[in-house]
Amino acid sequence: MPRTQNFGYAFGFLAILLIYVLVLSLVKNPEIGNLPYYTFRTFARITATYIISLVTGLFFGLLAATYKTASTILVPLFDVLQSIPILGYFPAAIIFFISAFQGAEIGLELAAMLLLYTSMEWAIFFGIIGAVKNIPANIVEAAKSFNLEGLSYIRHVVLPAIVPALISGSTLAWGDGWFFMIAAEYITYGGVTYSLPGLGSYLAKAAYEYGDMNLAVVLLVIITALVMYINFLTWHRLTEKAGSGAYKPIFASTWSRRFALSGVRRLAPVRRIGMSFRFRHSVLSVSKKRMYTKIEKGVALMALIFLVLVVVMLAQPNVPSGDEIVRSLTIPEMANLPFYTLATLARLTIAYFVSLAIALTMGILAAERKGFALVFYPIYDIGQSVPILALFPILFISISQVFGGRLGLEITSITMLVADMIWYLFLNIVAAVKTIPDEIREVSQLLGMKGLKRIRHIILPAIMPAVVTGSMLSWATGWNTVIFSEYMPYGSEVLSLPGLGSFLDKAAYQEGNTVLLGFLLLVMTCLVIAVDRFVWRKLLRKIERYGAEVM
Amino acid sequence: MLEVRNLVKEFSGERTVVAIDGVSFEVRDDEFLCIVGPSGCGKSTLLRIIAGIEKWNRGEVLFHGKPIEGPNEKIMMIFQHFGLLPWKTALENVQLPLEVHGIDRQEARKIALEYLQKVGLSEFADTYPHDLSGGMKQRVGIARALAMRPEILLMDEPFSSLDELTASTLRREVLRIWADPKLSTKTFIMVSHNVSEAVFMADRVLVMSPRPGKIVEEVEVDIPRPRVEHTRDPRFFDIVDHIISVIEAACAASARACENLLVKSC
Repeated sequence: MPRTQNFGYAFGFLAILLIYVLVLSLVKNPEIGNLPYYTFRTFARITATYIISLVTGLFFGLLAATYKTASTILVPLFDVLQSIPILGYFPAAIIFFISAFQGAEIGLELAAMLLLYTSMEWAIFFGIIGAVKNIPANIVEAAKSFNLEGLSYIRHVVLPAIVPALISGSTLAWGDGWFFMIAAEYITYGGVTYSLPGLGSYLAKAAYEYGDMNLAVVLLVIITALVMYINFLTWHRLTEKAGSGAYKPIFASTWSRRFALSGVRRLAPVRRIGMSFRFRHSVLSVSKKRMYTKIEKGVALMALIFLVLVVVMLAQPNVPSGDEIVRSLTIPEMANLPFYTLATLARLTIAYFVSLAIALTMGILAAERKGFALVFYPIYDIGQSVPILALFPILFISISQVFGGRLGLEITSITMLVADMIWYLFLNIVAAVKTIPDEIREVSQLLGMKGLKRIRHIILPAIMPAVVTGSMLSWATGWNTVIFSEYMPYGSEVLSLPGLGSFLDKAAYQEGNTVLLGFLLLVMTCLVIAVDRFVWRKLLRKIERYGAEVM
Repeated sequence: MLEVRNLVKEFSGERTVVAIDGVSFEVRDDEFLCIVGPSGCGKSTLLRIIAGIEKWNRGEVLFHGKPIEGPNEKIMMIFQHFGLLPWKTALENVQLPLEVHGIDRQEARKIALEYLQKVGLSEFADTYPHDLSGGMKQRVGIARALAMRPEILLMDEPFSSLDELTASTLRREVLRIWADPKLSTKTFIMVSHNVSEAVFMADRVLVMSPRPGKIVEEVEVDIPRPRVEHTRDPRFFDIVDHIISVIEAACAASARACENLLVKSC
């Protein structure tokens, strides 16, 4: 086994080298010579951000895990932070960093890293929190009885327990980093384009400035291959290693029997798959579901508003007067706000249901035919690695050949949303399907349930908690992507669809209207939280009735 | 009514493991049969084969003279971890298999309630398994299986995930159900690793050796019923001791330590 694996690594390396040599010698583009340098810059940028995310994630995660007071503030705060559209706050961050460093590259670099950080941090932080909560009560008690406290408790109990979560959290964070790379490296603000040397900006330039679709596709393939190769080299190996012990990876290549009934829950108690039934009969429910009190929520919201205010104030050296605020908000386009909101909501809803339909179909296929599950992992691996934002030019060109005008643009926009939203649902559902206990499968077999009956009474209810968690996350990420999918630079022009996302982009990038930007962000955040409260939390409560647990 | 002939079951993986090696036995009408053996002797696999939810490699399994080809509504099973659907209430759990087999909803509900009452759970009809104790969950499991009016009831370590007091109550209750002349289910096959439990409950005990699983001894339990009155009899202890020594000899022969061999009194 190891020999074929090593051969695989060597082969992968040679293949990537060969792609580079071929691209460097065959592609005619003035900047192609910089490709290795761009690769290095992007790689370094993401790695540096990942390390910062890891360190801060560990720090806050362990802090929240060990001190109850820290946890009551940090966890709800991070929860709100991760459910708001990060990309929407990006313009505010850019304004701040550009003005702080007078347009120097270091300012841009920091802005880019901040964006990457805000997309990478959550998986690690929540992974740690979840893993600490899932340490079995008997281990905690045993540690106490041996007087393990403070640092030695962290070292001997907490750290070993969070290793699997750290690995899966890192895998997700790393993927998210590459996902947002283009948005971070290529920024248009107030009619000016800022770009940082890197693969993402090169891809954006190839598509938008050179209009060279072939080059864009080639770069996309290179990025995807690179991400997959790095994944195989690092995370996959680590996951396998961690999986050899008591913990199992989510996508163990073998379908281990009795796995779901074993005491230790699967690896990756990360937010994305943080929920499952506790089929075990024993009283394991020490980690009662995380529901905040009103006070905690209030504190978190206040802290968030304070944070946003600080960023806006810093970005705007002159605090806007009341007059200015009124003037900024009473532009004629404001009349369209309700329509924009509805349009964006409609787009997201359609994209959500399309994603759900596809993910459910795949999940059910995986449940009924074990072979499918083995095929789905590579699909997930590739799908997650493709930077969706880079897909736009390619998607649009192909779709607009079938559907002209507005319709083509709408379909492109929704397709991009689906391409982003589907993975959360997919990953959750496939993982849930894998953890349906053998006994439940046997019962359905014994009772002669087949086809639709089996799907309705066994599979769907069993994966329901995963569907709800997946939906929450996919919906949240959809808000993020909508900001880009409604407002897309294409060549020298900008293609935009009426909606909240494009309104926000225009306010930020064309007019530099900071007050309007802040207002729209507030609207968006309120919408996200409202949907979360009135749709997802309600569904969660329904499921909890029969004992499903939220991480 | 049920006959197993030269049954062989192998698990193929990196190494092929012979789980059951040429097992033959017959189950008589209205019999309480118990299969005991150490962990990993293939007794649960044997039960699953009879239930029609596991395939085998060689040999025959005949039910009323006809080979078993899959799950059969005349053979029902209860599970070690109860196998209840967490998203259905106790009543719905009992009702579902009836509906799946084409009984209309109203009628299925009526039958389900009747059987829940038989196991003393009518008050908990609308409770989710999550909120039931282990013993109550297993009662729902028993009601679900019996409501199908099977001819054979298979029980896979039905008491081993319960505490001893609950298990002991439930054992007596299962015996009461087995002896109930109004019930159509008369033949019970139970798998257990608890020797006293087997002797307490069964008419006949089949003793299996560890991997590869073979039947090494057949013991007729001729202690009169109700056996609660005879658990302190020397006869009871003689049979238990005999079976344990057979298992220990079989374990020593296959050079494996006997694990989980519980020798608790009932």
